[in-house]
Formats: sequence, structure tokens, C-alpha cells
Amino acid sequence: MATVQVSEAEKVYILHGIRDDLRVDGRGCEDYRHMEIETDMVSNTDGSAKVTLGHTAVLVGVKAEIGKPRPMLPNEGYLEFFVDCSANATPEFEGRGGEELGTELSNTLYKVFNNKHSLDLKSLCISRGEHCWVLYVDVLLLQCDGNLYDAISIAIKAALFNTKIPKVHISADEEGRKEIELSDDPYDCMRINVENVPCVVTLCKVGHRHVVDATLQEKACSVASLIISVTHKGTVTCTRKVGGGSLDPESIFEMTEAGKRVGKALHAPLMALLQQEEAQGKRRQKVGFLS
Amino acid sequence: MLKSKTFVKKTRSGGVMKIVREHYLRDDIWCGSEACTECKHESTVLQKDACIESNLCSYPHYLVPDTNVVLHQIDILEDPVIRNVIILQTVLQEVRHRSAPIYKRLKDIIHEKEKHVYTFTNEHHKETFIEREPGESANDRNDRAIRVAAKWYSQHLKASEAEADGLKVVLLTNDQGNKQKAEESGLLVYKCEEYIKSLIANPELVDRLALSNDEKNEITSSKVLFPEHLPLSRIQAGIKSGTFLQGTLRASRDNYLEATVFVQREQDDGTEVLIQGLQNLNRAVHQDVVAVQLLPRNQWVAPSSVVLQDEGPAKDDGVEDEDEENVLKTSAAESARKLTGKVVGIIKRNWRPFCGMLNVSHIKESTRHLFTPADRRIPRIRIETRQASSLVGQRIMVAIDGWPKDSRYPNGHFVRSLGGAGEKDTEQEVLLLEHDVPHQAFSQAVLSFLPKMPWSITPEDMVKREDLRSLTVCSVDPPGCTDIDDALHCRELENGNLEVGVHIADVSHFIRSGNALDKEAANRGTTVYLCGKRIDMVPELLSSNLCSLRSNVDRLAFSCIWEMNHKAEILKTRFTKSVINSKASLTYAEAQMRIDDTNNNDDITVSLRGLNKLAKILKRQRIAKGALTLSSLEVRFHMDSETHDPIDLQTKELMETNSMVEEFMLLANISVAQKIHDEFPECALLRKHPAPPPSNYDILLKAAKSKDVEIHTDSAKALADSLDVAKVDGFPYFNTLLRILATRCMMQAVYFCSGMDSDFHHYGLASPIYTHFTSPIRRYADIIVHRLLAVAIGADSTYADLTDKHKQSALCNNLNYRHKMSQYAQRASVAFHTQLFFKSRGVLNEEGFVLFVRKNAIIVLIPKFGLEGTVFFDSKDKAAPNIAFDEEGPTLKVEHHTFHIFDKVKVTISLDDSNIQHQKIRMALTEPVIAGVSVAIPDAEPQAKKPKLDR
Repeated sequence: MATVQVSEAEKVYILHGIRDDLRVDGRGCEDYRHMEIETDMVSNTDGSAKVTLGHTAVLVGVKAEIGKPRPMLPNEGYLEFFVDCSANATPEFEGRGGEELGTELSNTLYKVFNNKHSLDLKSLCISRGEHCWVLYVDVLLLQCDGNLYDAISIAIKAALFNTKIPKVHISADEEGRKEIELSDDPYDCMRINVENVPCVVTLCKVGHRHVVDATLQEKACSVASLIISVTHKGTVTCTRKVGGGSLDPESIFEMTEAGKRVGKALHAPLMALLQQEEAQGKRRQKVGFLS
Repeated sequence: MLKSKTFVKKTRSGGVMKIVREHYLRDDIWCGSEACTECKHESTVLQKDACIESNLCSYPHYLVPDTNVVLHQIDILEDPVIRNVIILQTVLQEVRHRSAPIYKRLKDIIHEKEKHVYTFTNEHHKETFIEREPGESANDRNDRAIRVAAKWYSQHLKASEAEADGLKVVLLTNDQGNKQKAEESGLLVYKCEEYIKSLIANPELVDRLALSNDEKNEITSSKVLFPEHLPLSRIQAGIKSGTFLQGTLRASRDNYLEATVFVQREQDDGTEVLIQGLQNLNRAVHQDVVAVQLLPRNQWVAPSSVVLQDEGPAKDDGVEDEDEENVLKTSAAESARKLTGKVVGIIKRNWRPFCGMLNVSHIKESTRHLFTPADRRIPRIRIETRQASSLVGQRIMVAIDGWPKDSRYPNGHFVRSLGGAGEKDTEQEVLLLEHDVPHQAFSQAVLSFLPKMPWSITPEDMVKREDLRSLTVCSVDPPGCTDIDDALHCRELENGNLEVGVHIADVSHFIRSGNALDKEAANRGTTVYLCGKRIDMVPELLSSNLCSLRSNVDRLAFSCIWEMNHKAEILKTRFTKSVINSKASLTYAEAQMRIDDTNNNDDITVSLRGLNKLAKILKRQRIAKGALTLSSLEVRFHMDSETHDPIDLQTKELMETNSMVEEFMLLANISVAQKIHDEFPECALLRKHPAPPPSNYDILLKAAKSKDVEIHTDSAKALADSLDVAKVDGFPYFNTLLRILATRCMMQAVYFCSGMDSDFHHYGLASPIYTHFTSPIRRYADIIVHRLLAVAIGADSTYADLTDKHKQSALCNNLNYRHKMSQYAQRASVAFHTQLFFKSRGVLNEEGFVLFVRKNAIIVLIPKFGLEGTVFFDSKDKAAPNIAFDEEGPTLKVEHHTFHIFDKVKVTISLDDSNIQHQKIRMALTEPVIAGVSVAIPDAEPQAKKPKLDR
């Protein structure tokens, strides 16, 4: 993980600020930085989104391919995650530097998203036990400025919202063998219901308080952080502690409560934004990467 | 400006892929009109005064046809009257997608300068490109693109135009919906018919329009004649599950409604499935690999013994099919019924260009004609040509394009003309093409591997070879033979035994494995001998010079030398590469004369006598073992030395010396076969002759029984013995006839690779093992055997393909095929020359014997000419006589006379050239006299006329 060096004096300054609910950049403890979302960025994916959070930037592409369902879950499709820590994001990722972080991130993403409570995996099934859609979710870190989990989860939700899976129907011939047929209308496609897809909120314990969306400096002052995935109803679907320090049960409880509150508040404007963008359709001026 | 085109596609592995293509839009695509002042084009295609006399459009205009108009009315568009047409890129792409031939024609139109046709790349034009909207089908989108482009044109021309006469754009479409939408958007739009009819000055166009319209109706309304073929995936599944069988279709020569499919199955040797009737044949053509479904047992039929030819000249698209097929429907005995099936799909078409002739349509000006292939097993082909009148009487080649399910005949197109029918060169070309005989001149690459002339034996060669030049070697061959590949010698050794040598031309010395020369020879497989022409397997330098064991020159040879005692028992066998110098090249007759001339005692003659003596013993031994002496009549033509026309015809005579040479060749082949099989048990190239299945002998047994002669077919020996004693008093020719029949019962001998088979037996020669070693100049198999033997005796090095049994097996298949085809070509050549011969003879009256009895005909053999012909008893133009066919005999009762096999009859022979394509020898019965069937004996005795006197 990208890190910065913080001096003792700076640390004290940050700690004291947080104690008084006033962070270095002027935010309160439960405020996010400025966030930008754009979907349908990459034309050769089935769904894509780019999210910038402060200086953190991630690009998520979703590709749908036909695969075989898992033997234990014959009537469900599934998701595959891959996180590419590009050396563009930070020089530390050069070579194999980003590999460990990438695996850690994708493992967490499996836990958070690849279950039937987050997504209607049954809708991804084409024919029981034989064919299903496999969604390959590729995450590309473009720039690291802290709080990767939140940015990635938001980008994934946006990309899944944007995903258009071509409609197929199965026709069986007389011998009972199944043939997949594609509709020739490119507009004839299936959408994914992202209502229950959670967002991840990372809370960093700094001093006696905790902050949302920590910058790299704040992170350097933190001993441990808690990752909480929250649905739009405020249900916590997953929590995970990261970092070397310890957390006492009381603060875990407090942090969870805060996470629920923040997460719940995050969903509504996100969905509103995505729907608004979708409604613009072809008339939307794409911003792209060059802005 | 960049746009991207996105579409999803199914991949071959069954996945779905999203494909994104970049699509560039430009603003520098010009309209191509002469009248336009705005566009910065360098040259224009469309004329300024695009006038055509029309009562609908009195103004100058450009035409914009939509896709369907192009597809269906291409004939109209091709007409020189129609000019100033804008072909949109959308239309061009759609046409290309839908029909390749029409696309080609359209491209031709576009390239024609006089037509002023402009292609407008509307898909890349910034203002005419449109994207597909949600809910819009691909066709609708294209229609819209066409309308948008037409609209753009009309506005563009209006804006750029100063003149008052107003150039306009007229959209042509036959689609009602499209027309309506175009009218709504203010375009000038007409139906194609409307527009063409409005062209007052050119009424002839309407005819063509109507014609093509009829065509369309015909296609949609005419009944579907054939069932649909199944898709390949279904066929494969069916073959796997066993519901369908796969095999090669072989159409019957005699009956165009019948074919058999030879099915090779793993469990057994293979079965034959009978296919009868057009419906069941389902557009399969001879040699196609097809999938067959067996019919239920109660629908099985017996092969009809009717000879049926597809004759109705004007008959088209199956109106009379029911009548045709009724001929077949005869109740056959339960036992005679065979496995019957129907074709459900074609796995692989084996279409090649076919030779044949055109039957010109009776309707004048019609461009569609029927083409009759020379090969009777190929159905007639409908072709479209405008040069029918010039092709009449010519042999042409036609390729099949396809066979739609609503058409009685396949559709094809003219490839090239071979020349006038009946001309000798043309006919020879035809029969070579029809039998797939490679007969082009040898390529430069092949010739480059020939030894450089002057060639001589080098000292290095001498070191490696045994010098046998001192031996009294001579060759015995038919007269006029230039490719002498064998020579013999015989001498007495000091110990009293005899040394016999067979020396074979060492072709493998000159043809090294793997080079172009070798590949060409392997492909040709065999030299083909036609009457008066030889198609060489290897270039002439080798076949007639360097390899040919001519007299009094040093030649390289591969020798097989035995030490024998006077009882012709082999004491020692050895093989060696050698150098020989033949002392004499004799003909069979010359050799015979030397042997018979008791005064002649020179070395050559003594050697010949020794050989002859041994050969007689060998033959006796061989026959005692059960070798068959079979008979088939071979004819020889005496050719006019200048015109190369046959002037006389005689059956080949066999002399003692023929059999002398043959005996030693057989002996050499057997010795070599043993040697290479010992050395290479897995990859020896051998030749086998399978024993025929007992059912093959049915006809022979029945025929012999009718003359109270008993034939035993339990073994080759039994057959040989019973044939020897089969005699009928007062019928000297009976034995020969019987042997001819027996020959017809035999199986084809084939080359095979010893590692791929377990049965090596040669039935006809009664030898447990056999191969071909003695004619490497004219057979490729012998070259391989030479190479194997050379490796076995350490005289040459081996190479990978030689010991690869799969490659060798593949080679055997080719050799067997070429061998079979060359035999057919030879027969066809003889048949053609027989026809030429009879052409100059008029009508002859000859004696013959009934060889086979068919349901409606007898097949008669004329021993004098070795000629076989069919006497039909039913003909189309007169009432058929009373015919009763008895399968048991088999006998055929015509009115009151009953024909048996071997009956002596008299027939008139004449050349029937009423059908120039299939000139045939026509035979008509003169004796026995049957009222209404037989014909009168021609008055003059034409045999007396010598052709020389005719001139």
C-alpha cells in the first residue's frame, strides 16, 4: 500500500484536528472527499465505470462471458475479480510490487460481492448446470491516494449498473442438444439489478476517533481500520479489520454504527446519479480520460 | 470523426463475444455528379444531362436502387439503357452478403465506364451515416440509411445547382413500407416495375423485367421437389448414434434412378445400401459423400435390372417423375430385396467440372439450357448461357454450382469448350478428363530432375553394381514397345543347374525419393495406354531411353537371379543392382520364331529355349496349385499410319512366348514379395487379390447349369479344374465364354501395405504373397518395391516415408484409384476406336453369343471383334413386345422365343450417332427371327468391302 512519511508534529496536528472533528482538508470525520463517477467508459467491455475520489482513481470493466456453472451451484452464475495495481498509480507497484495488494483486494471483493445476497446470481444462469454468465470484473488502479476499497466498491457498483449482457436464448434440437442463439439486435440486452449491491466503507481509527475516507496522511496516523460493506438498507454484509493495531470491542461497535450510517447515506445519491446518467443515453457528452 | 460500431457475435466455441470496430466518418466524400459545383472531386462519374425518356420522370435524374431491386433486377441494371445509377455502399454490402454472383455482376457494372454508375460510400459520410436505433432491425436500419442517403443527395443537388432544369434523385424500391416512408420524407420514389414501364423509348426492357419476375414466382410457387438436407451437426450426431450411415454414393451407369452407397463400418467389411428414386437420392451426385438413413424393412427393394436413361429432352422440373419411377416399382422376391435407404444429407460434395454436351433449349432466345454429361452417372445440369448456338456440337466442360430443392436438375455454369464432338483429339481429351488421368505435359520442375544428357554410366555406378554385360540378355515385348522394362537370360552353369535372370530397368536410380519428379510419378501412379497414345508416368527421356532396356546399349538394371535345377525348382535366389547390355529386343512373334526354328542355335535362341522349357514347367506347377486361367477378349487396332484411324480390328493372339515372359515375371514378383516382406513385415508394398464372395458366382453357376455343366467354386483350384473340363459338344467357344463370365465374377486386385492388412493371398495366381516389381517404368508401385528391395540388400539408403505404413497405405489408395481409372480410360478408348471403326463400315451382320440376360435386353458378345453390345427389346417409339423375364434362369422370353445365356444369335452392328454425345454401337437382332422385334438382314455383304477400296 502506498504510504507517506509523517513527522511526529504532523501526526499530533492531525490527531488533534480529528479529535475536534476537523480534518486537515476541512472535512468532518464522516465526510467523503470530492467524488466523480462516469460510466460506459470502455467500449469493448459490457459495462465500465471510472471513479475518482480525491486523487484516488480506479477504472472498473465488466466483461460477460459464457461459462459453466459451479457444480455446487448449478443454477447460478458467478463473478471473477482481478485487481491490477498499475505502476502508474504509484511507483511502488512497479514490477511485482502491486501483486500482494491486488490479491488482498480481490479476495475482499469476492467476499463482498460474489454472493446471492448482493447480486441476483440466478439471473446469470442460462441453462441449469450447463451454461451461465460469468462476469469478469477487472479493476485497474490508476492512482492511489488512500481509501481504495471504497472507491473500488463504488466503481464496481456503477460498472455493474452499466453492464449490458446480450440476451441469449437456448434452443434445443431434436436430439436434445442445446444451442445458444444470440439476438441480432444489439439493444436487446439484459441488465443487472444492483439494488442490493453493497458499498464498502473504510473507517480508520485515528486516536480515539475514527474517520471515513482517510487520506494517506491520516492513514499514516492510524493504527487499524475496519472495512464494512453496507447495503442501501444499512445492512452490514461483511466486516474486516485491516492494519497492525488492535481495536477494542466498544470502538468496533462504534465504528460499525458509523459505517452503517455513512454507507446508507452513500447509496441514494449514487443510484440517483447513475440513473440520471443513464437517462441521458447517447446525448451525454463523454468526459473520458483526457479531462 | 470517430464512431465505433458495436456488435455481438457468437464464437465458434459457443461463447459470445462483443466486438467493437472503429468507424471513421469523413467530410470529403463527394457526390460524383457532373452538375455539382460544391464538391471538390477531381473526376465525375454521373452525367449532367442524365436524361432517359420516361413518362414518370420527365426531368434528368439519377437512380438509387435499394438492395432488393439490385438482387432481383440485376438483368435490368446490366442493360446499357440504364445509366446514371448511384449504388450506395449499404446496398453494395448487403448484396455482397446475400449473393456472391450478383455482387460480382454489380461490380462489373460499376466498373463499366459507359454505364455511369457511381458508388457512394454513404456509411462513411458524415451526414449520411446513421446508427441503429433501439428496436430497429438490421434491415430497417439499412432501408433508413438508403433513404437518408437519397435525401441527402436530393438536397445536395438542389443546393449546388444553378440551372433551372433540376437534377433529381429517384429511389427505386419494391418494398411498400420503404416506399411509403420515403414518400413521407419527400423523396421521389417508384417501384421498379412502374419505373421501367415508364421508359417509353425502351419497351424491350419490360420483357426482361417480366421474365425475371416470372422467375421469381416460379421459385416461390413451384413445388419443392426434394426434401431438405439435414445440417452437418445433425448428420454427425446421427452418424455417431447410428441412425445414419456415411458412405460414398455410386450412381448406376445403367439406371439414373438408382445408386448404391458403400458404407464402411468398423465392425464389418462394409455394406452396400441401395438408393432408389429421385426423392431418395435427394440431389446426391455420383461420388458425393452422403449420410444415408435406412428405410423400414417393408420398403426395401431389389435393384431393378432395367436399363434406364434419362432421355426426355425437353422435360423440365419433374412433371413426369411419377411415371418415370413407376418403371422401377416391380414386386421383387423377398430374397432379392436389399438394404435400402434414402439420402438425408450431403457430407461432402465431390463435384468437379464435367465433360459433356449441351442440349439446346427448344425455346429460342432462352439462355437456360440443359447439359448432358458424358458420364451417365452424372445427372443433367441446367446452365445459363447466351452462346448456346456456338456451343452446339461441341464438347464442353460445365461445373455444378448448386442443386436447389425445387429444381429437377442441378444448376451449373459453362467452364470451357474442348472442341468439336466426335473429333479424335477432343474425344481423347474428354476420356482423359473423365477418368481423372493427369495428362498435362511434365512441368519444368519435374524435368529439372532428369539426368543431364549425354548420360553415361559413371565409374562410381560400376563399382556399386554387378557387371552382367557379358550375359546373353534379351527382351521380349509386344511390337512397337519402346518402354522395355524387363529382360531375361538363361544359361547353364558348370554344375549342370540353370541360372535364370530377370533384369528390370532400374528406375529408382533415376527417380530419387521426395523430389518433384518422384511426386509427379507417385501422383500419376501408372502409365496409361490408349489406342495410339501413351500417357507416360515418367518423362519420355526415362521411359523410352535411359530406363528402357534397349538392345546393344549399357543399361542399369535391378536383377533377380535364380539358380534352378531342370525341374524348375529354385535352389538359390539373389537380388543385385547390375549393369546389363541386352543383345536383342524381340517381339513375341520373333522370339517364337527363333524357338521354333530348329536350325537356329545362337546364344540368344538357346537361352530362349531354356527359358521356354522352364516356363512351361512353372506354368504347370502354378496351375496345379490352382491358379486361374481366365479370359477376356482384348482387341488390337490396325491403325492407318497417316490418319491414325483404325482400319482393322483383331482380337489379340496369345503365343507361347507371351506366357514365357509372364511366368518369369510372376516368379520374380513372388520372390521379391517374399524378400521385402521378410525384411519389412510392417511396410512392404504388396498386391493381393481377394477371393470373391460366393454370391458373385451366382450368374456363372446359373449360366453353366443351363448347359448342364457343373462348376465348383469352393476354391480357386476347384474352379480352375471345373472350368478346364467344362465343354459342350458342338460349341467350341463355350469354354471361352465361361471363362469370360468367370472373369466378371472376380474381385479387383489391389495394392496394400503389409502392416495394414492380414490377408495377403492372391486368389487368381494362387500365390500366398505377391507384389509388382517388374514394370517400374509404367507403374509407381514397382518403384516403391524397388526401393524397398534395394534397402533390403543394402544397395540404397532408406527414407522416412518408405517405412511409414500410414503414408504407404495412402499411397496404395492413390495407386489403386489411378490403376482403376487407367483401365476405364483404356476401355473407353477402345470403345471409341471401335465406334470409329464401325463408322466407316456401315451396317455389319455378325454372329454373337448372349452373355447376359437383362429384364428388357440381352447383352451380346461378338467374338470376332471382342465387342459387347446391348439389344433392347423395348423402345420408346414402338409398342413393346411381350417380354417375360425369369430371374432363376435367367431367361428372357420375347414373344415366343426364349433367350438363355450362351445362345447363339445373329445381330446387325451399326453406329448409332443420333446422339452425338453418346455415340454407341447399336445392335439389332436378325436371328432368331421374331416378328416385330428382329430386323431384316442388310442386303449387301459389307464385310467384303475393304476400306481401301472405298476410297
